Amino acid sequence: MQLRAAWGIARRDLSARFSGLRLLLVCLFLGVGALAAIGSLTGAIRSQLQAEGRMILGGDLEVEVWQRLLTDDEKAFIGQYGTLSEGLRLQGMASTANAAAPVELKAVDVKWPLVGSLVLESGEQVGAPPPGTAWLAPGAAERLDVSVGDSFTLGTRKVRVGGIIAEEPDRLSEGFQLGQTVIVPLDLPEAAGLVAPGSMYQSKTRVAFNSPYDGEGVEGAIAQKFPGRGYDFRTAERASPGAERFVSRLGEFLTLVGLAALVIAGIGIGLGVNSYLEARRRAIATLKILGATSRDIVTIYGLQIGAAALVGSAAGLLAGFAVTPLLASALGDLLPVETGLVFDPLALARALAFGLLVALVFAAPPLLRARDFPAMALMRSRVSPLARAWKTYALPVGLGLAGIVALTLIGSPTPLQSALFLAGAAVLLALLWLLGLAIRHAAAKAPRPSDPILRSGLANLHRPGAATGSLVTALGFGLSAFVLLAAVQTSLAGNIARSVPERAPDYFVLDVPKVGLAEFRETIETFAPGSEVTAVPTLRGAVIAYGPEDDQTRVEDLKELPEGAWALRGERGLTYSPTLPESNSVTAGTFWPADHKGEPEVSVDEELAQAIGLQIGDTITVSLLGVERTARITSFRRIDWESLGFNNVFVFSPNALEDAPHNFAATIDLPEGRSGSGLLRLLIDAFPSSSVIEVGPILTEARAILDQVALAILAAAAVAVLAGLAVLLGAIAAARAARTYDTVVLRVLGASRRQLLGLLLAEFGLLAAVLAGVALALGTGLAWLVITQVFDFDWLPDWPRIIMVLGAGLVLVLGFAIGASLPLLRARPAQSLRAL
Amino acid sequence: MTSPTPLSQAASPVVDARDLRLTLGDGRAATEILRGIDLRVMPGETLALLGPSGSGKSSLMAVLTGLERASGGALHVAGADFSVLDEDALALARRGRIGIVLQAFHLLPTMTAQENVATPMELAGEKDAWERAGAELKAVGLGHRLTHYPTQLSGGEQQRVAIARALAPRPPLLFADEPTGNLDQSTGEAIIDLLFTRREETGATLVMITHDEELAHRCDRIVRLADGIIVSDERAGAA
Repeated sequence: MQLRAAWGIARRDLSARFSGLRLLLVCLFLGVGALAAIGSLTGAIRSQLQAEGRMILGGDLEVEVWQRLLTDDEKAFIGQYGTLSEGLRLQGMASTANAAAPVELKAVDVKWPLVGSLVLESGEQVGAPPPGTAWLAPGAAERLDVSVGDSFTLGTRKVRVGGIIAEEPDRLSEGFQLGQTVIVPLDLPEAAGLVAPGSMYQSKTRVAFNSPYDGEGVEGAIAQKFPGRGYDFRTAERASPGAERFVSRLGEFLTLVGLAALVIAGIGIGLGVNSYLEARRRAIATLKILGATSRDIVTIYGLQIGAAALVGSAAGLLAGFAVTPLLASALGDLLPVETGLVFDPLALARALAFGLLVALVFAAPPLLRARDFPAMALMRSRVSPLARAWKTYALPVGLGLAGIVALTLIGSPTPLQSALFLAGAAVLLALLWLLGLAIRHAAAKAPRPSDPILRSGLANLHRPGAATGSLVTALGFGLSAFVLLAAVQTSLAGNIARSVPERAPDYFVLDVPKVGLAEFRETIETFAPGSEVTAVPTLRGAVIAYGPEDDQTRVEDLKELPEGAWALRGERGLTYSPTLPESNSVTAGTFWPADHKGEPEVSVDEELAQAIGLQIGDTITVSLLGVERTARITSFRRIDWESLGFNNVFVFSPNALEDAPHNFAATIDLPEGRSGSGLLRLLIDAFPSSSVIEVGPILTEARAILDQVALAILAAAAVAVLAGLAVLLGAIAAARAARTYDTVVLRVLGASRRQLLGLLLAEFGLLAAVLAGVALALGTGLAWLVITQVFDFDWLPDWPRIIMVLGAGLVLVLGFAIGASLPLLRARPAQSLRAL
Repeated sequence: MTSPTPLSQAASPVVDARDLRLTLGDGRAATEILRGIDLRVMPGETLALLGPSGSGKSSLMAVLTGLERASGGALHVAGADFSVLDEDALALARRGRIGIVLQAFHLLPTMTAQENVATPMELAGEKDAWERAGAELKAVGLGHRLTHYPTQLSGGEQQRVAIARALAPRPPLLFADEPTGNLDQSTGEAIIDLLFTRREETGATLVMITHDEELAHRCDRIVRLADGIIVSDERAGAA
């Protein structure tokens, strides 16, 4: 039969309202809609980050270097490519007579910003602040309790508040900050005594090209002209790699959760298509009598299902497109850029492809079974169920699955993790499916309750055609995901609230002068006797070369850094120590004695050593404030990064570095219960050039981010629960004829409506109890794995909240189940018996 | 599409069944429905299959129309060897060769009268299916009901549509299974008149299943079945 003729017959048989295929429509609508929204949003953010790269970076190229400004010869060379704007970034302490706050100082020259402009809350568009003036982020002004025109102290200088920042053009490229932004003129840090040799600051020089140069080409030219200067470069094309990476990862994870929801929807698709085709047995048999072959049947009904799938998916795409701004507003501050309605054809095409592939996987088996419906069904009342010839649908199902896997992995920033997630989801689904079968089997074998209502409820779980397996899988997956998220989120929050503060210090202090270290310890001890102060020397330097003494590898000669060799990129923190740092252990070689005097030595992180093939006895050359220093590797160390103290990849023997100008960084652990109130003021007065980072506010911010990420994931997981509910409604609708028959017979036998309601409660109550057990066991089991094995955190779930989340899910399930079954109670026996 | 083999000379039977057997179920549950049927039907003949419930009439029709494969014996229908064809090949063989009218009409509820009649011809890839369907419906007196759905038609009208659907492809062989079973007496008589008139006009061979002696006597030949075997085969006038 020609496709056109088949479509003609298919179209006639297909009600315009898709009656019978609504479950398929709803499931695809939900799944494709979720994926479209997630894909559109993340795609939009990524493209916006790229399109606005120049604005975000504040130029075409940024050259970063630690502890110095660019030299005149560097500036002259780079200046040939365009206009330069210099700036400094450093931690600082701002104070007034009544308040003190750690701030992130951003010192800029008069040319800043090269691209865009800074907008103040007054609406004024400005550039760099005039001498003696600062632009303050609203948080900084609030903390210092100052407004425009007031003054505050930075180091040794009084500064006037010139305005409060409303929009900072290059904020995104600054990355995660440890304090509120204060923008000051370029010369202020030095004038205020905050910048001295050895101080921890970073200079950022931006270039706005005067010709359309290739950013990476210019980067290469600068690195070649001035080798070993420890530059970090950033181009407009990759202005905010951190934000891009975060959005990519979050987007991918949400896509995977959405895909899991779509798979649940797939179960609904399978059920919907199955009951649709079952209802069309007579029509199929009639067509066969009229000469339709089994191939014609597959073509006709395949076209119908395909058309419904396209309509459902298209509606999903439209809804996904429309809800993107809602999703964006739910994620709020988590997103680096603002997005409105976004049309991203690639994301929509991907969502559509996922939807159609899932529809293929789940609709193919019932469709291929339908071709074998015998024409004889018209002549005998019922023909026995057909044996499922799985071989016939192995090919389309296999192709569909392969397509889903390929589509997931292609374009995934982390294909291995995606593959693991897919495998995990497949195992989980298989487990749930088996569990569903086991429950059905157990219900059949269980002793029959003497109460007829309970007996009937139990029987409904295992009667022929019961959808118990599908329901346990579909609803179990969604509810398990809810429990998993609640357990992970509350455990992480519990760790942030309890365990992390236990391990992390209360304060980090940077730039404690070497000569003032003893006084610093004394100040803290006087303020809070019993405080624990750990101080380490801090220097910044870049690795220039490594390897055997007579055959060193120059870092600049490496075309690409080996995997795991991030410590070779740009300047890194260096330190020296007479003894093995706390929470480190030597894995090879020997750590120098405390009084070591001979050749300068260095101890290296074993992971880096492995990544670049270092051997004990090799050498490392670093550039420190323009001076090259070489030390011999005498040990490798394992670092416990979770100790949340100071950890360095390179630890040198004191005689290797101690003559270089440097300061100390310190951690302060106050005695338990001792408030830090007043400490900031004390430190600002005693050590004006030092800066303090408070751990408490950072943890609060981390919790806020965690809550928002959890909300986003919860929204995606909610689609899984909605899809599960659609499956539930579909299963109830599919079994309506059999249930109506039961209900009517029971009514004829004298059952009251109350008793029939009891039957429904018994059946769905049993199902809900089983689901609660499954979700609690699977969800918390997986959450425990994630928290203790993946994050290596303590298992601190908030049980009341988990039970509340699960309870809400179950109430939803029961409500939907009973609500959808209520029409059965209204069935009139006489009328129904005539219709049956 | 497979075009129907033209009926051969008058001497060749349009249905030729020898020792036809049908067993349903396996092993101990096996039931012998047809137990060696020998039947030849000549072109243009009208034949009534008569017998009590459970005698195997409908099963014999299912086998003769290729809806069910015989468990044994040989069967040639309108030039095709049905005993060697699988289910799909039987469906193709039915196209244009066999028209079927069933007791419960079995119209496709989602299609209009004209769409129902056009469907078998469309399945066979006929280009003028639509026009022929309209013409056939006019011929059965339903020219004014072309766009009506089955639920908008009376029982008699539905059976007229079913007759039009069976005859529109001009099959050489027409089967009718209790065509008046779901109709009241006067409607039933009108339908039978129409069936015989249209059969005569189209020249099709008619095999009709019935338990109505009077109706059976309108056929040229009456074959009686009991317990899966033919117990008598006689000209209608001889009864």
